[in-house]
Amino acid sequence: MWFRDLLDVAGKELRKTVSDVGVLVFFIIVPLLYPLLYAYLYGGEVVREVPVVAVDDCRSTTSREFLRKSDATPDLKIISYCSDMEEARNVVHNHKAYGIIQIPSEFERSLADGRQATINLYCDMSGLLYYKALLSGCTMVSLDMNRDIQMVRLSGISDREKEVMIMPIENEYVTMFNPANGFQAFLIPAVLILVLQQTLVLGVAMMAGTEHERRRKGELILGNEYSNPITVLGGKALAYLLVYGFTSTYVLCLVPWFFHMPQLWHLHTLVAFIVPFLLANIFFAISISFFVKDRESCFLLFVFISVPLIFMSGISWPTSNMPAFWKVLAQIFPSTHAVNGFARINTAGALLQDVRYESIALWIQTAVYFMTSLLIYERLYRSDKMPGMEFVMAMRNRMRKDLRKVEQEIKHEIQRELKAVGRNYKKN
Amino acid sequence: MSQMKQGFWAIVRREILRMSSRRLYGLSMVLAPMFCFIFFTTLMKEGLPQGLPAGVVDEDNTTVSRSILRNLDSYQQTEIIKQYASFAEAREAMQKNEIYGFFYIPKGTELKASSQQQPTISIYTNAIYLIPSSLLYRDMKTMAVMAAAAVGREVLFAKGANLDQAMGFLQPIQMDMHPLGNPWLNYNIYLSNTMLPAVLVLMVLLVTCFSIHTELKDGTAGEWLSMADDSILKAVSAKLFPQTMVFSLMAGIYLVLLYGCLGFPAHNGFWPMLLAAEMLILASQGFAVFIASAIPSLRWSLSLCTLWGVLSIPISGFSFPVMGMPAPLQALSYLFPLRYYFLIYVDQALNGIPMAYSAWFYTALLCFLVLPLLDIRMLRKAAHKYTYLP
Repeated sequence: MWFRDLLDVAGKELRKTVSDVGVLVFFIIVPLLYPLLYAYLYGGEVVREVPVVAVDDCRSTTSREFLRKSDATPDLKIISYCSDMEEARNVVHNHKAYGIIQIPSEFERSLADGRQATINLYCDMSGLLYYKALLSGCTMVSLDMNRDIQMVRLSGISDREKEVMIMPIENEYVTMFNPANGFQAFLIPAVLILVLQQTLVLGVAMMAGTEHERRRKGELILGNEYSNPITVLGGKALAYLLVYGFTSTYVLCLVPWFFHMPQLWHLHTLVAFIVPFLLANIFFAISISFFVKDRESCFLLFVFISVPLIFMSGISWPTSNMPAFWKVLAQIFPSTHAVNGFARINTAGALLQDVRYESIALWIQTAVYFMTSLLIYERLYRSDKMPGMEFVMAMRNRMRKDLRKVEQEIKHEIQRELKAVGRNYKKN
Repeated sequence: MSQMKQGFWAIVRREILRMSSRRLYGLSMVLAPMFCFIFFTTLMKEGLPQGLPAGVVDEDNTTVSRSILRNLDSYQQTEIIKQYASFAEAREAMQKNEIYGFFYIPKGTELKASSQQQPTISIYTNAIYLIPSSLLYRDMKTMAVMAAAAVGREVLFAKGANLDQAMGFLQPIQMDMHPLGNPWLNYNIYLSNTMLPAVLVLMVLLVTCFSIHTELKDGTAGEWLSMADDSILKAVSAKLFPQTMVFSLMAGIYLVLLYGCLGFPAHNGFWPMLLAAEMLILASQGFAVFIASAIPSLRWSLSLCTLWGVLSIPISGFSFPVMGMPAPLQALSYLFPLRYYFLIYVDQALNGIPMAYSAWFYTALLCFLVLPLLDIRMLRKAAHKYTYLP
């Protein structure tokens, strides 16, 4: 009996979702398109061929070799050779280049004397990726040339011996889990989770707002059909879970696959992790949708939160360096744990035991937000059962509106009459 | 019903009443931006993350490997929190998010180094977390090179070279990096300067669109227009005037916060940035009116404004440069007011170059303001006969 009621509510909620274009946009269209847009945007992963200008005050073979090799790196592209710094600065100010490589006049002489020679790099700091490109491009070239120079200086021993002498301990660098060391693999998992959370919150809030509007007008009275708020709550959650089962499969599995991003998840881990996320998210959405008083205000209330949320997850600014207050606040949002968990499950192939903290947190959230949404529904039931303040207010508003209409009509009639009188008067 | 007062100021008074009668406006115009201002500036107050947790796997366990580890721990940005027994253990710790990277010294490093076989030590970082990963890499790479050089330097010292000569041999060419405008590589400067106006732009777009279309939804548009003698331009500008004031105040607050309290670089002073922020608000309002007029549905126009507001954050190019995006998106970036504000900020605050260089960007913002002239008549038509689409 109870179970049939639950399915009944779920079915009604599903029908309501499908028939409401506004909600459908949030539940289907946005999750369908938005991740594609983001993945496309960051598809380049890194910046290549950052335009820079060169100022060669030395004009020697070595300095020219350095510039030639810098130009040949994938990071940099020398767009112009300037005669002095003034000219180079002008190019940068005109937004044509993002850095200057300046080789001082004593460069070659220092090398010949066996002293350290310095190359000056000036970087526009409007984007850290420019800095990264300029620094890593030039460092690579200098390391390469340093070895050549050292090889020439050492004489009388074999090449292998020279190599060992120059670099007694070799080192290698491995960027794990994000082979391109780029933006897409780093940011997209967070964006995907956030899209799921925010669209669910917005859609549920929009439905709650619509209901609230109808209740205000006295059109909707909760609790007439089902006596038990748990049934209603459970039925709704079931409906959303069904919709988001499909949505999240697309968002979390297909989108990364379209863009050839790393996907190292194990199916059971992913499912075991995403289910509590969706549940926590559904009850979270139902709880906060209580504050929405009309259909469209969800835009104003919840959209902007996405921006701080992505930072709270610690995917960008490291969690280890967050002030304690924000770290604690971040715990109450499902996205924080879901982003961290999903990023590691998807990109780093973590198992359920590796994301135990996150998944326990999500289960706790599910329980807590279930309780809060139950409390809210209980309250709504009570206020509806005995026509409370809101119902009386709604009735009063409706009567006032009718009164105003009548007033307007009378006014118009009087005006018409007066005009007619005026016309008659003129004629006479 | 008493005779309705007419004119600009009457609408302004009416709008102030409307705004103060709903908590929603206070929440979205003052509280939401304020929250974000405080959030971003305090979140990254360290500027550059310090003491990032890292680990080591020392399979060698010799004097050489231990001296490498000791040196590594002395870096400010890296904090070795744990030594792992094996590579697999360290990788698991990384998957559990306990560390952002680790140093791997294989067995026999010292032996190989002393017998001139050139051993390799490895640096692993978790690039899912790009910022800590890049920062750790920098420290660890320097450390690895220094460790190698230390061995070589000792040999050279033994041969009678002084420090200058030794460095001249070990590193003939060195780089001297000058990060212009932000020599500390401060992430707070780098992100907050665009994040704060971005949130404000989002709220301006949404509130403008919402407040215009609720007139139509609530059926008060007739009254609103008649107060402006049926001039839609007058009606809209009077309606938005109080909002402009509130948002300008918010812009003032974040500018004082950034350039006054936190002392972020503003090389051309406060005024060019204030001008840019004011124009950004007007441009966003203009854009929102354009959308609100073009799309006669509250929800659809709000949806588009949301898309524009949220998308303006990545597409303004402050984190991932526009030049690295696909060409169609590069073209699209010209349609976002925040993009121009970002370019002005780079010129005026970060680099401090003459205002003439940014003149185009200011002009572009002005263009957004006059954009509604194209289609505002449609709004008037909608205001006269409007049916609310849920």
